Amino acid sequence: MRLGNAAVRVLAGLSIGVLAVGCSSSSTTSQSSSASSPAAAGDNSNASGGTPIKIGIEFPLSGGDASNGIPSDNGAKLAIQEANKAGVPGGFTFVADDLDDAVQGTHDPAQGAQNTKTFISDSAVLAMIGPFNSNVAKAEIPLTNDAGLAQISPAATNPGLTKGPDAKKGLTHPDVIAFFRVCTTDDKQGAAGATFAKELGKKKAFVVDDNETYGKGLADVFEEQFKAGGGTVLGHEHLNKGQGDFKALLTKIKSQGPDLVFYGGTSVTGGALLRKQMGDVGMSGVTFFGGDGISDDNFLTTAGSSANGSYYTLAAPELSKLPSAANFIKAYAANFKDPIGPYSANSYTAAKIEIAAIEAAIKANGNKVPDRAAVLKNVAATHGFASPIGTVGFDANGDTTAPILSLYKIENGKAVFVKQVNLST
Amino acid sequence: MDVFLQQLVNGLSLGGIYALIALGYTMVYGIIELINFAHGDVYTLGSFFALAVLTGLGVSGEVHGPALIGVVLVTVLAAMLCCGLTGVLIERLAYRRLRNAPRLAPLITAIGMSFILENVMQLWRGPSPVSFPSVIPNPIVHLGPIDIGAKQILVIVTAVVMMFALQLFIYRTRLGKAMRATAQDRDAAQLMGIDINTTIALTFLIGSALAGAAGFISGVYYGTTWFFNGFEAGLKAFTAAVLGGIGNIAGAMLGGFLIGLIEAMATQYIPQGAQWTNVVVFSVLVLVLIFRPSGLLGESLPEKV
Repeated sequence: MRLGNAAVRVLAGLSIGVLAVGCSSSSTTSQSSSASSPAAAGDNSNASGGTPIKIGIEFPLSGGDASNGIPSDNGAKLAIQEANKAGVPGGFTFVADDLDDAVQGTHDPAQGAQNTKTFISDSAVLAMIGPFNSNVAKAEIPLTNDAGLAQISPAATNPGLTKGPDAKKGLTHPDVIAFFRVCTTDDKQGAAGATFAKELGKKKAFVVDDNETYGKGLADVFEEQFKAGGGTVLGHEHLNKGQGDFKALLTKIKSQGPDLVFYGGTSVTGGALLRKQMGDVGMSGVTFFGGDGISDDNFLTTAGSSANGSYYTLAAPELSKLPSAANFIKAYAANFKDPIGPYSANSYTAAKIEIAAIEAAIKANGNKVPDRAAVLKNVAATHGFASPIGTVGFDANGDTTAPILSLYKIENGKAVFVKQVNLST
Repeated sequence: MDVFLQQLVNGLSLGGIYALIALGYTMVYGIIELINFAHGDVYTLGSFFALAVLTGLGVSGEVHGPALIGVVLVTVLAAMLCCGLTGVLIERLAYRRLRNAPRLAPLITAIGMSFILENVMQLWRGPSPVSFPSVIPNPIVHLGPIDIGAKQILVIVTAVVMMFALQLFIYRTRLGKAMRATAQDRDAAQLMGIDINTTIALTFLIGSALAGAAGFISGVYYGTTWFFNGFEAGLKAFTAAVLGGIGNIAGAMLGGFLIGLIEAMATQYIPQGAQWTNVVVFSVLVLVLIFRPSGLLGESLPEKV
């Protein structure tokens, strides 16, 4: 075990090199985008040809959430590519500036807030897309509201982000909202989940959530609605962040004899392992039901064959059933090798809305770079916008006017579309 | 009562994994008083090494008959060897030069080492969880009202056997004696002709090899692994080592099993207990440290290794 000093130095150098590679690979996207920022920063006044206008994109791009984040990121990038190909008024170029909010493998509100501040301080960023997760959105909304930066989330479904007594609390401009979303909210998703569960003939549910904004919100709505529909909720437990062994919890659940386990949360915060271990304690016969948080590939790969027989709702339409989405699906497949995700089209739509808002603002400003307020005004006024996910617009709270939910069942390791409901009022 | 016994089994099998990792923590602390934060990541690395071997052998599901013993032996030994060598390499590269530096320097280096390993694993197998072949059939043994899976028995038995094997090695062999001497007084041991570099490297070899075995077992038991697995498990295992008396082999195992049991019982008997398990575990730790500052077995067996 005697290595010469020179050998030690070489090995130490190697390991540092590996570290550097490791870092760069986990944040490739942020590095490539930051490289373009000095050229773009702060020349709002002159409309010289080819000046980049940035759209900030903020998703979990690494870790267990990457199977959500990357397909959504790609959707937004596709819209930006198409806009540049078609030509932007004033000769500008759109640039996708994407940042990763995953820290230690999971989406992180503090990192999301940090990324948002980066966008806000870069005057070339005129609008923002993201985040994926509701707790991250909760941290970002006050920042974009303060800066007047239009933000559209394709997937953050917690109703409290836009509605209810707490939504406007802590906002500097409660009258001028800057956060919008093209997905359906969890008050509708949880209620639909309860209805679906009743249609499946389930009467005794045990509710588990991951204690995050999204998961707990969804689970609470489900519990309330399931009870209101005549069902019994045997108990409601919350998971610890980072936990991986749920056998003790499942033993407790099993002893109460539920016919359904409802899970509010994402795959990476415990959903996938919870379902997997249901098989280990002899509960594979009990139906597992979740929200859109378990709609990712991560759930299928981690839970493996135990995933079969699970149901989940999605706060978006099933693309293959929509004629309007056919072109988008084709264009996505032609441009990216990662498979399309359940929220890719939502993300594409969010980018389309922002691009349209920016282009209209450019024209209104005499082909010069518009300010963020003009863009925000155009985004807020969006209505009857034709997109792959149908005709969308925003209501007074910033929520979509076309809330559509789909139900899926996992069979043979694949999500199979069951049905779809449109909840627009 | 039935549920209590079932939770006892759940707690012991969860604690068995903690115990296996805690053994390595406690050995390294015992000999050079370094909290080796990279140890949890060596454990994850063990599951990836084992996965690579299994892929190489073409194993993707359960194995039956005599082939099972062969596959398990080859995989465990390969994972242990690779992890052991990784541990020795880490000690040689990151810790040896700092052996006489102020305490904080190797501690920070250990945290850095942990980040390096996490990033290497993320590069190697990607950031998402990967599934691990189940390898060992898992027939459920019905002991009266309780169900015990074969894998749960395997986890518990492995932890106990490893602990006794380590005890025998440390108290019955010449190398073990050298380790104990190095732990007590490094300079005096060197004067007595003990090669302390080799002895410390050996400690890292054994501790990391145990982490490799734990990595294989947890992969088989949970059926999945990912690059960040070692963080939470490493933290709990470190807590287990402190609870049992850091530096003490039997204490590490006791601490591991205790933490597993506390988690299982807190989940069962506290209303909405699943979210309070960590609070209960660390409250117990604080209470124990108030009354026994050197851990449960820290005083009765003062010799550290």
